[in-house]
Amino acid sequence: MSVKPLITILNGGTQTTVQDSGRPGYRHLGIPRSGAADRLSYAIANHLVGNDWDTPALECALGGLHLRFEQDTTIAVSGAQMWAQIQGMNLDLNRAIDVEAGDILTLSYARAGCRGYVAVAGGLAAQEFMGSVSTYLPAGLGGIEGRALKVGDKIASADLPYAASRTIPRGYIPFLSSHAVLRARSGPEFDKLSAESRRYLFTTPFIATPATDRMGARLRGDRIVTDDPLQMTSGPLLPGTLQCPPDGQPILALADGHCTGGYARGLHVIQADQWLLGQIAPGMQISFRRCLDGEAPDILQTRNAIWGALIPGFRF
Amino acid sequence: MSPPQPSLRRYGDNAVLVEWDVTGFDAVVSEQVHALAAELRKEVFFTEIMPGYDSLVASFDLASIDEVAIHQRVGRAIAELSAFDAELSGRLVDIPVHYGGENGPDLEALSKATGKSPKEIIAFHSSREYRVCMMGFIPGFTFLSEVDPALHHPRHATPRAMVPAGSVGIANWQTGIYGLESPGGWQIIGRTDSVMFDPNRDEPFLVSAGDRIRFVPQ
Repeated sequence: MSVKPLITILNGGTQTTVQDSGRPGYRHLGIPRSGAADRLSYAIANHLVGNDWDTPALECALGGLHLRFEQDTTIAVSGAQMWAQIQGMNLDLNRAIDVEAGDILTLSYARAGCRGYVAVAGGLAAQEFMGSVSTYLPAGLGGIEGRALKVGDKIASADLPYAASRTIPRGYIPFLSSHAVLRARSGPEFDKLSAESRRYLFTTPFIATPATDRMGARLRGDRIVTDDPLQMTSGPLLPGTLQCPPDGQPILALADGHCTGGYARGLHVIQADQWLLGQIAPGMQISFRRCLDGEAPDILQTRNAIWGALIPGFRF
Repeated sequence: MSPPQPSLRRYGDNAVLVEWDVTGFDAVVSEQVHALAAELRKEVFFTEIMPGYDSLVASFDLASIDEVAIHQRVGRAIAELSAFDAELSGRLVDIPVHYGGENGPDLEALSKATGKSPKEIIAFHSSREYRVCMMGFIPGFTFLSEVDPALHHPRHATPRAMVPAGSVGIANWQTGIYGLESPGGWQIIGRTDSVMFDPNRDEPFLVSAGDRIRFVPQ
């Protein structure tokens, strides 16, 4: 660890955490993958500053983050449409910029999307648990003491090797709006939903309620119910799954979502679109589009080919 | 008697669900779930293998392997399971429990609802060995096998905002241990001082799926 901190937090904002690509493979122990909720925007930020795509960076939900750099370095901000400023000067998102010791970065509230990523050349040092420094708040794992950042926190550089800063052509940057369209396939209990509910799922938009965080997004819209009351034994649950409890308001499981659940698993967002789950902000419109048989692998191969060519090693 | 054959279904685009059609707890099915999990762990292309009480979910990277191959592989493992009759051994772990009082705020109500005295409930609950069937929903939460039918009782209609770590509860036929403080709707009858999950311990988890647990009243 460096003697001198790289970053001092002046205001943690709504919820800022250290994240990397997560700790997959432990859901059977109740440990979710966690990691950057929007892995694409996170990878873009890292790539721009010359890091490997899965280098530890900051994830700032909704905004309000203020921090001071204590050393000269290179940074990039990607993800949600936040108004970013360095020393009061506007900062372009999705572009690497050199900052000097003493410079203050501020991220205002997100106009579209939910989570902004701040990558720093060389990455951020944080506590590792089961192979990842990703912060998982419910169990206090990873990150800085397993919690969201607060005023006075000091973060050191991870001193990882990095290349010169890079660019990503404008046309590649994902467009985030206040309406997310997620392609999905049916979950195991889709057929148990009422005929009306099955139609609503793919035809009417839902609104993400304020009960939206890294664990899940509670949606409001037409009621989604099963034909008969479902007596389900708790069973395994994956992120990207839309759970449908008896009250009719479905819950979309996200990066830190529970590893088991006891409600009908109505839909499952396809692997290629799961990055977008991390950009669901309260108040946002969510629509689901049915993904046809055989369509999902093609979408994924195409997306992996495009982004893998741009960002070495990156896969959705 | 041969156990029921499970069904193999899709779960979205990058996972499959294997599900046994049983109601309540079935010890034979539970053993098969874990045998299937062990078999599938031999393959590298699964990203998560998650055993439940009467089901198993296996997810994979859709870019690395196609769904047909996955269905073939899981289908073959299921077919081979019928020959499986070895009992999972698992470690036997004693869990000391302080029943009732502030440690078990629902013991009195459960006593009224079931017509058993608190003493009888404690005796029923601590007199059998339980299998660790599933871990989750959060780290350290331990889903155990069936309690004595006399103790079956539904969850609270409205979950408590906070259940302390170590709480031992009942939900319908299930019993389990809250590994972390969290919201929860189970009927809480006691609490253990055993730390089910400690990230700073060499072995963070006290038990894992397949182990056996015995509750020891304190």
